[in-house]
Amino acid sequence: MVKFNETQQAEFNRLVARYPEGKQKSALLPVLHLAQDSFGGWLSNETMDYVAELLNITPIEVYEVATFYSMYNLKPVGKYMFEVCQTGPCMLRGSDDIVAYIKEKLGIKPGETTADGLFTLKTVECLGACGYAPMMQLGKHYREHLTKDKVDSIIDECRKNAAANN
Amino acid sequence: MGVKLLLEKAHVEGIRYFDTYRREGGYRSVEKALKTMSPEAIVEEVKKSGLRGRGGAGFPAGMKWSFIAKPEGVPRHLVCNADESEPGTFKDRYLMEFIPHLLIEGLIVSSFALGSNATYIYIRGEYAWIVDILEQAITEAKNNGFLGKNILGSGFDCEIYVQRGAGAYICGEETALIESLEGKRGNPRIKPPFPAIQGVWQRPTVVNNVETLAAVVPIINMGGEEYAKIGVGKSTGTKLISACGNINKPGVYEIDMTISVEEFIYSDEYCGGIANGKKLKACIPGGSSVPILPANLLLKTAKGETRYMNYESLSDGGFATGSMMGSGGFIVFDEDQCIVKNTYTLARFYRHESCGQCSPCREGTGWMEKLLYRLDKGEGKLSDIDLLWDIQRKIEGNTICPLGDAAAWPVAAAIRHFRDEFEWHVTNAKEAQERNYGLAHYADPIHVPVAG
Repeated sequence: MVKFNETQQAEFNRLVARYPEGKQKSALLPVLHLAQDSFGGWLSNETMDYVAELLNITPIEVYEVATFYSMYNLKPVGKYMFEVCQTGPCMLRGSDDIVAYIKEKLGIKPGETTADGLFTLKTVECLGACGYAPMMQLGKHYREHLTKDKVDSIIDECRKNAAANN
Repeated sequence: MGVKLLLEKAHVEGIRYFDTYRREGGYRSVEKALKTMSPEAIVEEVKKSGLRGRGGAGFPAGMKWSFIAKPEGVPRHLVCNADESEPGTFKDRYLMEFIPHLLIEGLIVSSFALGSNATYIYIRGEYAWIVDILEQAITEAKNNGFLGKNILGSGFDCEIYVQRGAGAYICGEETALIESLEGKRGNPRIKPPFPAIQGVWQRPTVVNNVETLAAVVPIINMGGEEYAKIGVGKSTGTKLISACGNINKPGVYEIDMTISVEEFIYSDEYCGGIANGKKLKACIPGGSSVPILPANLLLKTAKGETRYMNYESLSDGGFATGSMMGSGGFIVFDEDQCIVKNTYTLARFYRHESCGQCSPCREGTGWMEKLLYRLDKGEGKLSDIDLLWDIQRKIEGNTICPLGDAAAWPVAAAIRHFRDEFEWHVTNAKEAQERNYGLAHYADPIHVPVAG
């Protein structure tokens, strides 16, 4: 069963308190981020129903929002998600080569996850890092000025972190 | 060196923190505004400054403020649009990341002017780490008496909250942003009613871009008239330009709108010229939705005059031979770049970001993407080019919000100025897969050779 722990519940309360009385639905986007981070990096139906209950709105109000925004994952993803930008400005600086290299190196296509559950590759549209292209988002942060060497070291870094956390 | 009003202090060590920012003269505009000015006087200064919305549309900010309804007993809200998502644009991110207190300072003064006791910063979800930077700045401002109850003894209360989006370009459109802030899908609303009358939670709301609100700080400090003296004509003050693509020095630059496009690209103070000694082929001067211009029309107008980095000059010649200042996302293409491929990635972007409410945009963006994909892969037909032109014509102006126009314009301009390159992708399909078209000759920019 999904349920926020004490810290998560406190964060939920902080988020909801920002809006006028009776407008708690406004907290839906930030609360979905919180839920996604809290329950395995994706939004299951159970998680979404839980959020609906917490905000006192109907489940469909949560589903229609979760399916609209690209940052909500509606199926499980790897521990590390490489979100590589491929829009014009990144394309001009060689993002296609970076995507091809990651595909080859990890043996997965965009939208797929490695068998060990560590990596997901996703191609995304402009993330606002055009001057520092090519780039990817990894978790909360951007990795910019990507080269093949940099991709190698990011993959190594993720593997080491995963090993250290197990 | 040109005048810098926003980023002058951005690289002072520790400027991200309140103490340093304050020591460098920060929050003076809040003291001046709350202690010596009325809300109406602030709106008047912003009007005098000639400040135009920095998000892309360029609408006069003071005028937008003056439209806000003030019904008795109904709270009003200021919402800061930090959903920066237009490809090529990363200026607001830079400002928030390096000098966050400038935005907070501008927000406090603007909230006072508009009577907003609860102000929201709607930031794109991907800028997750900037949320922490802004919340830290807000906490510091509050601890120092610049936010919260009875600020500086003025009787004015104000809180600022940061709301994270979740990945949707459309939420940069102000009514979609409001929907999103209410916890809904980012579907733009039909206007009227305008947000100034019925915005978030049906309350009067003003939505302004990050850079616009930050510019309120120098306007209050120096006075609207002094601010208006910087720049030229109706392009007053300074503008942040985020430069990217094939240049030596990509980055964010603050310009005073009197410099030429040529100087901006080639001078070492700004872009530092085209990377790897290549030649300039084309440029999208104001974010991906504004028309792309070939080098000849970028540096000089169709009349042969020097083109400058300001609202009027960049749009000189209309869409036939000009472009727009837009959001200031300056994307430079060298001679090796393929216009068809670039147009395809932009069409894909707009298809991905269309909210799906209006058929011309929902269907049209998908068709354009498919046709451009086909042309790029060397599988297109000559008639596809005319079909593309026809589709973009049928999207433009036929949708609730400007995303339809934003999707149509880049396709139209690419065909208008680079039709020969599109045709070459069909007639020399195999060769087009092996090499790029290069500079060759540009399509005649004055004569628009399209069917229908």
